[in-house]
Amino acid sequence: MAAAESPSAALRRRDLCSRGIRLAGKMRADVVDLLDAYVEQQGLDASASVAAVEGVPLAAVERWDEQTGTQRLLENLAAYRAFRALLAQMLEEQREQLGEADAGLGRALAAVLLQVSAFAYHLEELLRLESRGIPGEEGDEEEEDGPPPPPRLSLFEQKLRGQAVLRELAQWAVRSVRDLRQLAKPSPATGAAPGLAESP
Amino acid sequence: MFSRWNWVACGFYLVLSICSPDASSGLVQSCGHIIPESPVLALGSNFTALCILNESCLDFGNIYASQIIWKIKNRLVPKEQYREINRTVSSVTFNDTSSLATPLTCNILADGQIEQNIYGITVTVGLAPEKPKNLSCIVHQKSRFTYAMTCTWNPGRHTFLDTQFRLRYRWPEQIFPDCIPKDVNNSCTIDDSQFFVNTEIWVEATNALGKAVSDPLVVDPIDIVKPLPPQNVSITSGLLPTVLQLVWENWISDAVMTLKFNIRYRIVGDTNWMEVPPEDTASPRTSFSIQGLRPYTEYVFSIRCMKEDGVGYWSDWSEEKTGITIEDQPSKGPSIWRIIDTSQSPAYWTVHLMWKALKPYEANGVILQYELTVRDKSSLSSPVKKYNVTSTNHTLQLQEGTYEVTLIARNSVGQSPPSVLLIPASNSKAPVKNLRTLPKHDKLWVGWTAPNNYVLKYVIEWCLMSSSSDCIIEWQIVPGDVQGIDLKGIKPFKCYLITVYPLYADGQGSGQSVKAYLKQDRPSKGPTVQTKKVGKAEAVLTWNHLTVEEQNGFIRNYTILYKTIDGNETVVTVDPSKTEYTLSSLTSDTLYTVRMMASTDNGSRTGPDFTFTTQKFGKGEIEAIVVPVCLAFLLIVLLGVLFCFNKRDLIKKHIWPIVPDPSKSNIAQWSPQVPAKHNISSKDQMYPEGSFTDVSVVEIEADDKKSFSEQDLKPFDLLKKEKSTSEGHSSGIGGSSCMSSPRQSVSDSDEGETTQNTSSTVQYSTVVLNGYRDQTPVQVFSRSESTQPLLDSEERSEDHAGGADSTPQRQQYFRQNGGQDETSADRPCFERTKQITHANEGDLVGFVQLQISGQSSQPLGLGMEKNTQEAAVSNVLQTCTEGQTVRPETVEENPLSVDEMPKSYLPQTVRQGGYMPQ
Repeated sequence: MAAAESPSAALRRRDLCSRGIRLAGKMRADVVDLLDAYVEQQGLDASASVAAVEGVPLAAVERWDEQTGTQRLLENLAAYRAFRALLAQMLEEQREQLGEADAGLGRALAAVLLQVSAFAYHLEELLRLESRGIPGEEGDEEEEDGPPPPPRLSLFEQKLRGQAVLRELAQWAVRSVRDLRQLAKPSPATGAAPGLAESP
Repeated sequence: MFSRWNWVACGFYLVLSICSPDASSGLVQSCGHIIPESPVLALGSNFTALCILNESCLDFGNIYASQIIWKIKNRLVPKEQYREINRTVSSVTFNDTSSLATPLTCNILADGQIEQNIYGITVTVGLAPEKPKNLSCIVHQKSRFTYAMTCTWNPGRHTFLDTQFRLRYRWPEQIFPDCIPKDVNNSCTIDDSQFFVNTEIWVEATNALGKAVSDPLVVDPIDIVKPLPPQNVSITSGLLPTVLQLVWENWISDAVMTLKFNIRYRIVGDTNWMEVPPEDTASPRTSFSIQGLRPYTEYVFSIRCMKEDGVGYWSDWSEEKTGITIEDQPSKGPSIWRIIDTSQSPAYWTVHLMWKALKPYEANGVILQYELTVRDKSSLSSPVKKYNVTSTNHTLQLQEGTYEVTLIARNSVGQSPPSVLLIPASNSKAPVKNLRTLPKHDKLWVGWTAPNNYVLKYVIEWCLMSSSSDCIIEWQIVPGDVQGIDLKGIKPFKCYLITVYPLYADGQGSGQSVKAYLKQDRPSKGPTVQTKKVGKAEAVLTWNHLTVEEQNGFIRNYTILYKTIDGNETVVTVDPSKTEYTLSSLTSDTLYTVRMMASTDNGSRTGPDFTFTTQKFGKGEIEAIVVPVCLAFLLIVLLGVLFCFNKRDLIKKHIWPIVPDPSKSNIAQWSPQVPAKHNISSKDQMYPEGSFTDVSVVEIEADDKKSFSEQDLKPFDLLKKEKSTSEGHSSGIGGSSCMSSPRQSVSDSDEGETTQNTSSTVQYSTVVLNGYRDQTPVQVFSRSESTQPLLDSEERSEDHAGGADSTPQRQQYFRQNGGQDETSADRPCFERTKQITHANEGDLVGFVQLQISGQSSQPLGLGMEKNTQEAAVSNVLQTCTEGQTVRPETVEENPLSVDEMPKSYLPQTVRQGGYMPQ
């Protein structure tokens, strides 16, 4: 697959990777700044350990270095799609709670949301270059039975979830940079990790 | 009659039908309308409008489409553009909408007279929007996290319509809200710009006539960022005097984009920026150390940044910050020079040492003091003198000799290398050659050719020349390998005296000087010319040189322009060193106007006019005329005098005819022989024979008394009456008169007076022999018997007249004869006494012969016999001795002086210088 990659496709992939790395880097910086602002604005404890929140994808993964490129792309795409939904929900909840009182936080959330969307677009483009089909957002097997209705959370839980989303997004940004750098390397193993090459 | 009323009724109904409200359909029942309603038309296109009449109006108003007229803003549209489609529809067509205006109205002409508006529309003419071009965007960083993307484009031509521009952008899977410009149509700013995603940007322009879309611009906004410049720039001095460190903060985090930088700096007061090599600052950083700076120098720094890969825009320059390097020891010694004043005594010098303060980049700090050392090289035993000076000059009193002066500048860090100046006893070494100057913009270049020997340094002195003040010397020292420098601070139009001295290791060369101007102008005034000397054909002009302040440049020449009033001007060019010039070939006695012009390389200036008039005669001409004329006159006079002298007798005869002196006649004592005899000797001595050149002989008839007519006596009567006056008849000479008549005495006798009485009256007789001058001589005997006192003597005689009666008055009558032959009875008396005296005194040239009438019988005269002359003379002499007459001897021996003139009844006292009748 990689051998069949045309020079323009390789250039395009390198450009996408490079751009994605910088986007992820900026996104992480923005998310970190946003997280500080958010914690302060919401009156939360920045040092408090937040337990895993349902629906928030975890960046940590075992045997990361054994993942194939496509696998990395797919996991990233799934994670950022989830974050896009979570951030959109946070933004809506933020508007409901504060209205236009704190437009700055809302603009920052919107900006991060845009960056998440942009990064997801990068990932999709990279998957296209990999000649891989792009999974639909609702094509997950888990969702075939229909998504569970979102639990109705209290205001505090919403805040905690928001903190968990931003913190995990920052982690994902770091992981994505590393993933893309891995993809950008001209190694023949791109997308050829054993056992994972055919995984969807 | 009926038809007229019918038409009026119909018209009234039509008006009502158009204007009156209709209860069923609204306020106004219109009789028609236009299609299209208020169209927007493209400029230059064609357009057709239809006016459709309502059927109701046809029924009640008898109006049809044929009666429709179209108007554009009250201007009738030509009927050629109408077209009657049917009885209710009329169209109008415009081939070019540019001729349209608002409103376009449909009107009806009822009965061909009454014009009534049916309907009107508003027509809007414009253009469809053009495709926006040259779309470009730039992302301005507003703050640490906000970036605004501003896009600009060329909106194209003016459409005359309300055209809406909107900037649109999108990601492949996301469309963002449009950006709509406010107040402008060529730019729009998107406040929230997201990086690292290619964004498609385009502009749409829309109006009533269409829509145009620009070419899309696909760009990642991160590539068009113009970041904010670095902030909080600070400068710190390092340990080294040539290094300063800049520290700053960046507005953009490395996560967004990495930056590269430009750093520029300049010395305070300098306008030229220096720049740190870009490659040294091409990586992300927040500090930089700048090296190679000057010690103790204040610098200004500024910095800017842009994306590291060079894609995007440079930020603006940051705020300027200043920093100063630390001190270092002076890098070189001060330039030192001297002026030696030997005016007091050649053996003792007053040496004015002067040196230039080090430039900041040479001083490398604050100069605290100068250390001056003077060593007498001609005397090894002389101690070295040291001086610590804070100023930049020092004066020494030295004896003539060779000295070595060493100068060191010291600051807080250390001291400078020493500057050495050798002051030799004489400056006789080789000078520079070919000293020359050349203006270069605002500087004056001075160049020279080095002498053959090795030169350590050159000293260039220059000063502004002035006629009113001394030359204030400025100087500069340059290394020996330099053969030309630019003098700064040179003023234009001023004369500078520039001198160059070569300094050798063992002495000093003599100076070479040159005068120079940075820029020349024409003189500020012209020379004032005047004449020093004016001749007939030449004039010497003189003038003064212009002062150096007035020259404004090198005077290349003087030009003398002179002319007569109506003549052409003559131009003469004169060497500038001259102050005098002689104009030649001038016309004599002519008024000339002369003026003088001084010229530099850049122009001329003329002085005031001066006029002079050449002389009529040249030098020596008057002398050449006057001197010969005078000489000729003198010669003529001399010749005349000589001629007159030679012809003096003749002239005298003509001018002064001989007038006998009656006073010398003495008839009473007539003794022809005696005087003759007696006087022969003397007369012969004085008047030798033959010298009597003019002797007149008067012959008088003794008895001719009665021959005088009575008429002749009448005048005498008058004289007698007047006695003392003979003015009317006198010739003015001693009272004798030719008019006197002998009858006078006769008449006196007739009056019965005695002879003595008669004799008391001086009887003059004058015989005029020759005519006066050319008159025919008439032999006239005239006798004067005037009693008029004769001068003083006469008066005195009259004073003694009382005694005169008793004292016989001896009147001496004389007769002089031309020869001794005439010795007749009527021989005239000749009295010589006084005559001789006169002869001695004057130029007696002749005697008057008297012919005495018969009255000689009177006692005085009668005493005379016709004897020998000796007897007569003796009588005379006796008489004279007794009387107051002068004896001949006495006269001869002792000529009487005037004062000693004998008092006698002489007709006229002869005084020296007086008139001498002859």
